[in-house]
Amino acid sequence: MKTIHKGQLAVALGVAALGIAIFVGASFIPDAAGYSTVGPAAIPRLVAVGLLVAAAALLWEVLRGGFRHHDEAAERALPTHWAAFIWISVAILSYGILIEHAGFILSSVLLYVLTAAGFGSRRWGLNAAIGAVIAVIIYVAFQRGLGLSLPAGVFKGLL
Amino acid sequence: MEVWNLLLQGFGVALQPINLGWALVGVTLGTIVGVLPGLGPAVSIALLLPLTTKIDAAGALIMFAGIYYGAMYGGSTTSILLNTPGESATIVTAMEGNQMAKRGRAGPALCTAAVGSFVAGTIATVLLTVLAPQVVDLAIRFGPPEYFALMMLAFITVSAVLGNSPLRGLTALFVGLAIGIVGIENQSGQARFVFGVPQLADGIEVVTIAVGLFAVGETLYLASKLNSAVDKIESVKGSIMMTRDDWKRSWKPWLRGTAIGFPIGAMPAGGAEIPTFLSYGMEKKLAKNPEEFGKGAIEGVAGPEAANNASSTGVMVPLLTLGLPTSATAAILLAAFQQYGLQPGPLLFETNPALVWGLIASFYVGNVMLLVLNLPLIGIWIKLLEIPRPQLYAGILVFAAMGVYGMRQSAFDVFLLYVIGCMGFLMRRYDFPAAPVLIGMILGPLAEEQMRRSLAISQGSPLVFFERPLSGSILALTIVILVGPWIWNTLRKRSK
Repeated sequence: MKTIHKGQLAVALGVAALGIAIFVGASFIPDAAGYSTVGPAAIPRLVAVGLLVAAAALLWEVLRGGFRHHDEAAERALPTHWAAFIWISVAILSYGILIEHAGFILSSVLLYVLTAAGFGSRRWGLNAAIGAVIAVIIYVAFQRGLGLSLPAGVFKGLL
Repeated sequence: MEVWNLLLQGFGVALQPINLGWALVGVTLGTIVGVLPGLGPAVSIALLLPLTTKIDAAGALIMFAGIYYGAMYGGSTTSILLNTPGESATIVTAMEGNQMAKRGRAGPALCTAAVGSFVAGTIATVLLTVLAPQVVDLAIRFGPPEYFALMMLAFITVSAVLGNSPLRGLTALFVGLAIGIVGIENQSGQARFVFGVPQLADGIEVVTIAVGLFAVGETLYLASKLNSAVDKIESVKGSIMMTRDDWKRSWKPWLRGTAIGFPIGAMPAGGAEIPTFLSYGMEKKLAKNPEEFGKGAIEGVAGPEAANNASSTGVMVPLLTLGLPTSATAAILLAAFQQYGLQPGPLLFETNPALVWGLIASFYVGNVMLLVLNLPLIGIWIKLLEIPRPQLYAGILVFAAMGVYGMRQSAFDVFLLYVIGCMGFLMRRYDFPAAPVLIGMILGPLAEEQMRRSLAISQGSPLVFFERPLSGSILALTIVILVGPWIWNTLRKRSK
């Protein structure tokens, strides 16, 4: 019995799921073909079939001992620190939640501090200061230099 | 000699003070992002796409092109001093150049890389100047079936030929094609996979995908794999100038590297890794002391660096003359053209020669600027390598989030960025190439358009692609490239 890498299996199934989703989704596209006899639903169907064939081939590789030309052992030799992954996930998601309420500068500082923490730096004060300097420079450059506006949030009217 | 007149006109555009300024900004930014690990040229140009609403097409494209080849110069610095290749095309430089640096010869290694890049970049630009009008003359006769066939060829070569596994490359390509489908379809005006979300109706932004896959995915992966070991930066001792002997050993590899790199880059297949490996192998074979290779032979830096630069200039041939991107960065450059409603191709040479030739002329200018930036000022760029990882990657994410949000002021895109980032993480973990996703996403809708047009001409008969000799032979070649290696391997196994 060959070992089956669960992660690889999940990836292959994920590709299959995407293929099925697109195939099903394509049937909801009204297919008015016109002169070319190929309507807007044809390519999505083709792409879905491509994904399903690829998924089947990936699955075949997984069941036959794993992805070809991929060094699974080397990947496993270095442990994955999920804590770091979570720090950075929180960093980006909180940015998405805060950007339109707290404004660009505050959300950027938080993004900076949390990402640095994910990489193991816990010098909160220093990182916050660096993040603030970068954010203010970007903000002023965009506002004054390019006339593109970023949300001011709590600093409205100050900069 | 009409070409040289056109080029002269191009210099008239490229040498305008404002455009010289954009070129300088471009090559400087390019050098910086090339040196810094984690931010490649594709991401940098994608992040700067919002600028296209504020500056004119010539200025923006000259700057973006500057970033594109500036990153090649900067990347070699990182490879030599840090032994972590900034880009896959600099793996060979990382092997040989880092060995030189370990033996106290970092200066000459950096010098031969910079001068070699300059020589190769300049010769390749001359070749581009001569070759582009010829390809345009040929391409003017292409109809939709030929373009469709060429796009299929590009799809297959970038996904199935480059990289470790054709299967994973093709999977990435199909994912990219799937992303490209989302939005209002051009010809029928039909919404596809929009789910009533207004942000999806305009299609998924190229920036979000490029930044998600390359910057966020990479950051997530690196953070999760970070071990406490610190990268050792080799110091540059003594003069950076090459000795007489170094020059004597370098000039031939530069020329040979150029000769290998340019044609491979100029083919609609692309890829910068293959020519660097070919050049390395060739130099090793031709060297007087092949045993020196692997221990810091200057030829092993000079040749591959030249090949790398020549092929990245070569990539401009299919991009400018056919609108065919064959690398991730070229795909983003195509997206930049599209921001201005321009489609690179034979028509653009007709309708907007000032822009095209101005851009080509700016390559000559940019290469000179880069030589100056990279030799006397090398000390500044080395300092960039000393930025600690937490602060570096935190900064990269701040820029990434700003660029993605700023594109259309939508928090939805930030969440989408996170989803794409997670996909990038998985792709990195399981060794799926990212470039086919971008190329599929950008080129996919164009291929669909050409296919529809072809079928409209033939009133629905798919034979149109095979009946026309040129599109037929390109498609046949595509199929051979796709299944040939597989059949070859199967037959070989049988016979054993």
